Amino acid sequence: MQAQPNLALISLSKTIESVLNTAIRLDDMQGEAFKALDDNVIELTLTPIESPLYFLITHTTVSVQTTLQGEADAAIQTTLIDFASLPIQRQLPHAKLSGDTDLAQRFIDALCSLDIDWEEQLSHYTGDLIAFKVGHGIRTLLGAQTNAKQTASQTIREYLQFELEAVPVKHQVAHFCEEVQTITDEVDALEKRIQQLQQTQTST
Amino acid sequence: MSQNKPTIDFGFSDVPIEEKVKKVKGVFDSVASNYDIMNDVMSLGVHRIWKRHTIELSGIRPGHVVLDLAGGTGDLTKAFAKRVGKTGRVVLADINESMVRVGRDRLINEGIVGNVDYTIANAEALAFPDNTFDLATIAFGLRNVTNKDKALEELYRVLKPGGQLMILEFSKVTQPLFAKFYDFYSFNILPKMGKLIANDEASYQYLAESIRMHPDQDTLKQMMLTAGFDKAEYLNMSEGIVALHRGWKF
Ligand SMILES: C[S@@+](CC[C@H](N)C(=O)[O-])C[C@H]1O[C@@H](n2cnc3c(N)ncnc32)[C@H](O)[C@@H]1O
Repeated sequence: MQAQPNLALISLSKTIESVLNTAIRLDDMQGEAFKALDDNVIELTLTPIESPLYFLITHTTVSVQTTLQGEADAAIQTTLIDFASLPIQRQLPHAKLSGDTDLAQRFIDALCSLDIDWEEQLSHYTGDLIAFKVGHGIRTLLGAQTNAKQTASQTIREYLQFELEAVPVKHQVAHFCEEVQTITDEVDALEKRIQQLQQTQTST
Repeated sequence: MSQNKPTIDFGFSDVPIEEKVKKVKGVFDSVASNYDIMNDVMSLGVHRIWKRHTIELSGIRPGHVVLDLAGGTGDLTKAFAKRVGKTGRVVLADINESMVRVGRDRLINEGIVGNVDYTIANAEALAFPDNTFDLATIAFGLRNVTNKDKALEELYRVLKPGGQLMILEFSKVTQPLFAKFYDFYSFNILPKMGKLIANDEASYQYLAESIRMHPDQDTLKQMMLTAGFDKAEYLNMSEGIVALHRGWKF
């Protein structure tokens, strides 16, 4: 059994997926270049990240995921840095293509057709990743005794950090804004209670 | 009500078996229209991570045929429909018509058309032929099913050999301090939020109670093996608030 889900990798796949689909929506050609890739899967390895990402292209929508049943139709191996500079370089000079290499090349061309500042987009992600790693490092350092407490607060922090963008948008919740004050008060009380519990745990 | 009828849990109270089906339906009838907002609020948005993780681990690909059982308002169906493409198919099946209607309207609104079927179905008696699906999911649904063993047998039956079942469900929190926080949240805050948003404290009280009555990680894994699955394993998420069980038919 795996201990914890790999939030960092999932966050990366989610980031790339939403950046790509936003770019396709904003594209003058509505992602026309992806049409030639319909119903295909491209495996992309971005060293130094070891686990590959799979790009599923269906009807000018790109879905990105970390696992795939069976083989991808084509595979591209390159570096994260080369990938990030793709919109400027317009090529992946050291990339290794395998499987259906024509398809792989069409995928690279389709990515080039979009106007994406990967460096900027990925830097947000790297920030997340660093925060994630630092959190993890602290956890390891603090050792087994404080581990439980640390894990609990880490979990809450991870919730917020990774999912802030996912809480309902303002207009959806506007009509019960007043009542939210009640909740806020309750959450304050809850926070105090957690602090108390943490103190009890530290002193035992 | 007759006293010698067999009963089953409805949250923390016992009700006659046939009544649970009706009561569960009542709960989802009353939450259907607010269900999506409520989901975000009650899990602080985290249900999206759990679902995303499920999608990622499914390994789904274009051409796959997928059953999203107890699919409700269609979060997983939507993600799967995008991934299976025009050569694949997703079936959203749910016992509750209101949930299916909300789900179908929402997906059509979002442009998900052409490769999704919507159907009313009870998990305990599926109308699909044997060996139909590459992947079957039941997310936050098994808890509400009266005869879980029967539902697991049905899910096994409709999977193709090599197919995978994924059960995403609330489970047993493994970390003691977190368990305290979670109890407080579930029994004090959650029903109040249910009241504010859906004006329905009772339904959310039921949700909190039914979570506690659901089999824990190892029990459910054993149930899957007993139902016929050739391999079963689970993965805890968020300290076991939720567990993802996966079963394979070989
Ligand atoms: C909490 S919702 C989950 C919906 C969706 N899967 C999600 O994750 O957002 C539970 C769903 O299970 C459905 N359900 C309850 N009992 C069922 C049964 N016996 N067979 C099929 N669906 C059932 C309900 O109607 C409801 O839509």
